[in-house]
Amino acid sequence: MKKTYILGVIAIAAAIVIILNGAKDVSTYATFADAAKIEGSVKVTGELNLDEEIIFKPEIDPNVFTFHMIDSDGVSRKVVMNKPKPQDFERSESVVVTGEMRNNEFVANEILMKCPSKYKDDEIRIRAEL
Amino acid sequence: MNENIQYIGETLWPGQIGHFFIILSFISILFSIFSYWRDTKDPLTEPVRSWKFLGRVGFMTHALSVFGIIGILFYVMSQLMYEYSYVFDHCSDDLPMKYIFSAFWEGQEGSFLLWMFWHSILGFVVLKTGKKWESSVMMFVGIIEAIIASMLLGVYVELGDWIYKMGSNPTLLVRDIFDAPIFQQADYLSSLKGDGLNPLLQNYWMTIHPPTLFLGFAACTFPAAYAAAGFYTKDFKGWLTPGLKWGLFAGGILGIGILMGAAWAYEALTFGGYWAWDPVENMSLVPWIVMVAAIHTNLIAKSTGRAIKSTFIYYSLSFILILYSTYLTRSGILGDTSAHAFTEMGLEPQLIFMVAFSALVPIILYILRAGKVEVHKTEESIYSREFWMFVGALVLLFSGLIIAASTSLPVMNAIISIFNPEFEGTVIKDPIPHFNKFQIWVSVLVTILSAKTIHLRYKTKEWNTNQKKSFVIKTLIYAAIAGVLTFVTSLFIDFYHWKYVLLTACAFFTIIANSHYLVSSIGRNLKMAGSVVSHLGFAIMIIGTIASGLNEYTITNMPFAMRELVKEDNLKTVVNLIKNEKLFTKGYWLTYEGDTIIDKTRTFDIKFERENPTTKVIEETFHVYPNVLFSNDMTKVAATNPDTKHYIEKDIFVTVASLPASQIDIELAKEEEDSLKYIQYNLSVGDTIFTKDKFGILEYLTFDPKNEDFLKSESDLGLGLGIRFYDLDKEFNELIEPIVALKENLLYQYPGQINALGLKVKLNDKTFDNFFTPEDELQYEKFNVKQNKSFDYGDLKITLLGFDSEISNPNYKKEEDDIAIKGLIKVEGDGFTHVLNPIYVIRNSRPFSIKDYLPSVGLHLRLSQIDPQTETFTMQLAMDERTSQEVIIDVAEDVTRTDFLGLEAKVFPGINMFWVGASMMMMGMLLAFFYRIKQKYA
Repeated sequence: MKKTYILGVIAIAAAIVIILNGAKDVSTYATFADAAKIEGSVKVTGELNLDEEIIFKPEIDPNVFTFHMIDSDGVSRKVVMNKPKPQDFERSESVVVTGEMRNNEFVANEILMKCPSKYKDDEIRIRAEL
Repeated sequence: MNENIQYIGETLWPGQIGHFFIILSFISILFSIFSYWRDTKDPLTEPVRSWKFLGRVGFMTHALSVFGIIGILFYVMSQLMYEYSYVFDHCSDDLPMKYIFSAFWEGQEGSFLLWMFWHSILGFVVLKTGKKWESSVMMFVGIIEAIIASMLLGVYVELGDWIYKMGSNPTLLVRDIFDAPIFQQADYLSSLKGDGLNPLLQNYWMTIHPPTLFLGFAACTFPAAYAAAGFYTKDFKGWLTPGLKWGLFAGGILGIGILMGAAWAYEALTFGGYWAWDPVENMSLVPWIVMVAAIHTNLIAKSTGRAIKSTFIYYSLSFILILYSTYLTRSGILGDTSAHAFTEMGLEPQLIFMVAFSALVPIILYILRAGKVEVHKTEESIYSREFWMFVGALVLLFSGLIIAASTSLPVMNAIISIFNPEFEGTVIKDPIPHFNKFQIWVSVLVTILSAKTIHLRYKTKEWNTNQKKSFVIKTLIYAAIAGVLTFVTSLFIDFYHWKYVLLTACAFFTIIANSHYLVSSIGRNLKMAGSVVSHLGFAIMIIGTIASGLNEYTITNMPFAMRELVKEDNLKTVVNLIKNEKLFTKGYWLTYEGDTIIDKTRTFDIKFERENPTTKVIEETFHVYPNVLFSNDMTKVAATNPDTKHYIEKDIFVTVASLPASQIDIELAKEEEDSLKYIQYNLSVGDTIFTKDKFGILEYLTFDPKNEDFLKSESDLGLGLGIRFYDLDKEFNELIEPIVALKENLLYQYPGQINALGLKVKLNDKTFDNFFTPEDELQYEKFNVKQNKSFDYGDLKITLLGFDSEISNPNYKKEEDDIAIKGLIKVEGDGFTHVLNPIYVIRNSRPFSIKDYLPSVGLHLRLSQIDPQTETFTMQLAMDERTSQEVIIDVAEDVTRTDFLGLEAKVFPGINMFWVGASMMMMGMLLAFFYRIKQKYA
């Protein structure tokens, strides 16, 4: 058999293994309800619930801050984040948290926020008018 | 927009010239493409009138137009012409000139221009060196250049109801883009202030990383253009030599550009490392990996005539991937998945067109021409270098495609949701392990291949027994040494998993094999030096990655956290340091010793003392200076910059991860102040006040406060208190000095705060009136005296000592023809003597006086008249009405402390091996590049 074919077969086999294996690392964005059912880490996407307080007391523990988030089902849950509060967190439009559900609280260890960009912001900011 | 308004102060000519250049750059490159294309069809012999000449004219016009646009944009930016939206968006009055380049390529238009700039410069190189390749290569370069140029056109294309804005013109005015009421004012410009450059990007990396990366991007166009030209002109072999030079150059520069991004991420941006498998990072890496694969197949093709089609595919793919990565990072499609992508600006259809068209050209060429490429009857032998190099290139291609596929998940989601709007979209749960688990095997294969392939020869058919024996023995010896070195390494770092042991061993195997080759054969074959350096670099980089990635640890774990008790405590990487209080974590005593604010940067001074675990002796002391940057309007913290203590074998990386809320944001500070409950106390010196569980004694009253902030404020007058607070056990006490000060008729508060007791004390404004009487309420008395004579005023003895014409008083500004003298007047009271210096001035034949004031007794003194004949001087004196020595203070309790910071300190062992190795990899490519351009017939 030609070596090129052998290489081809190996490559295809490797590709299949990689696709099957890699597919396990992928999931849809979960809701809090999904997260409660799933063992292990999931990503939940949603919006910041601004009616509830965002608590970050760096003088007590800079590693924890809590907020409430509304997931895509419209359910609001408390999120406990194990990191200092990021800059401009209050302004973020949508939030993606990675972690797991524990006793009705979502314990997260990673967060990604999407902030309103200055290009989208058609308001013209003029200092003299302030 | 109101057409009738004559706007004031606008400079319109740069915009008009800029717009002209934009259109010219687009038209001239189309002309150049056409002319070069004609030249490839029927080259005329008459050189001056040839199509080739016209192609050159077109390209040069295009290049000059690009330089023109860039020049105009720089001009309006440096002049801060805020009427231009690009200036408005990216500049501000306080932007230092050194960041003007960063501001220039912060925006999409600027970075497109940077890309076109490099295409133009590199295009000139082809004009100079291309010879018979010039026309066909520049035709393909021109096509991509035209597509990029169209991104700046900003013209509206109208087809029936369908209107599309093609490109975004960087020379537009703000009022062309926004419709706001302010543009009804003719003088709107005077109130326009720019947004300025994002403080995160005010960094020298932002000055050097984008131009290098874009030079790399631009360079990747050229090997692909040569490949296309080769297939187009049916000269399937001739392009391989110039193609390789361009490939090596592109690989080296693009690699350096990516590394600079990694260094920036590591050093300044606090992404927590040099590589996070972020989509934006991935998509610049993938074209580079494919470019490296292409260089290898190009070498095979040049030496053996095989793998020409592969080389064509790889170069084209690398180029297409560059454009694809441009699409991903600039279209906003990465959205949720990336921390640092551009935001969308309506260019998505054009970007998709760019990728699709650039892919279509090589695909069509390949279909038309691939059949005509000479095919070898026999296969490569497994004893030949070309066979294993080909395998290596295939592995690299695989590696790149895996990364690209995973990173493209958002694109797949977008495509699926076109057909199925219900589709939610998927995402990689944990990107870092996902990418690592595949790339570790790629690295194992690449290290093994780069160890052994270099010892093979091109076109070898078969080995004799000796050759076989020598190969096996060498391999065994290399493997044995690599095994020993891996074992030694394991004494210093933890591998955690056998896969990492294997990879480390493979990396050492490569290092040994390449070093042996370097020592034994390089003298005879200098051509291989670049290759050896690159492969050595790759192996060193792998070891550095394992050392720093697997063995990275945090010094600042909460010291009281018990690991087994709560899982999350492992994740607690920030500790609070209270100013001047030592804290012990993981072998180090940490002290927050102070901070300074200069301009927009607040720099913290953190002391590290390393303690020997057994002897408890401090063996090393050093300071690190992480900082935070305030936003351009100084109202909040906008960015944090870590500081790193470098060692040969490790880095200690220190970041200020959190600060008290009141020091992050002016609004939070105000909120916090508003939430405090102040209680008022009236007291005199010597009195004691009791709060909930503390008491304080007013020790003194001063008219000469020494508080630093007060001294810096250059106030006219200040009143300060010295008040000492104790806890009830009298174990702790601290003296504070709250101040109220007058500056230009306004009162300012300088509160005192005792963090340890949670106390904040303000001196009430009303106190000021108890001690200082306004000028119009003063009762002046007149006294006539001669020099050296005294008189009594209340309890005070006043003596006129004499005069001086040297006057230095901030309230007196000398004018021409002034006659001014300063009185020297001694004031003696109970236990003190002062000299006051009132000033007497005759200006335009009219006399007036500037008083002097002695705050401690409240004495106001003026020189109001001088009679030269009798040598009599008239003084006016008045005293403050100090009916009460009582002060009023406001005391708040349970105040959040403000004298701490949250610190994160990480150790990256062996990180320098990563940087050295990765740099060697790129340097090796450039070395090979320089070697090949020096050789005439290489």
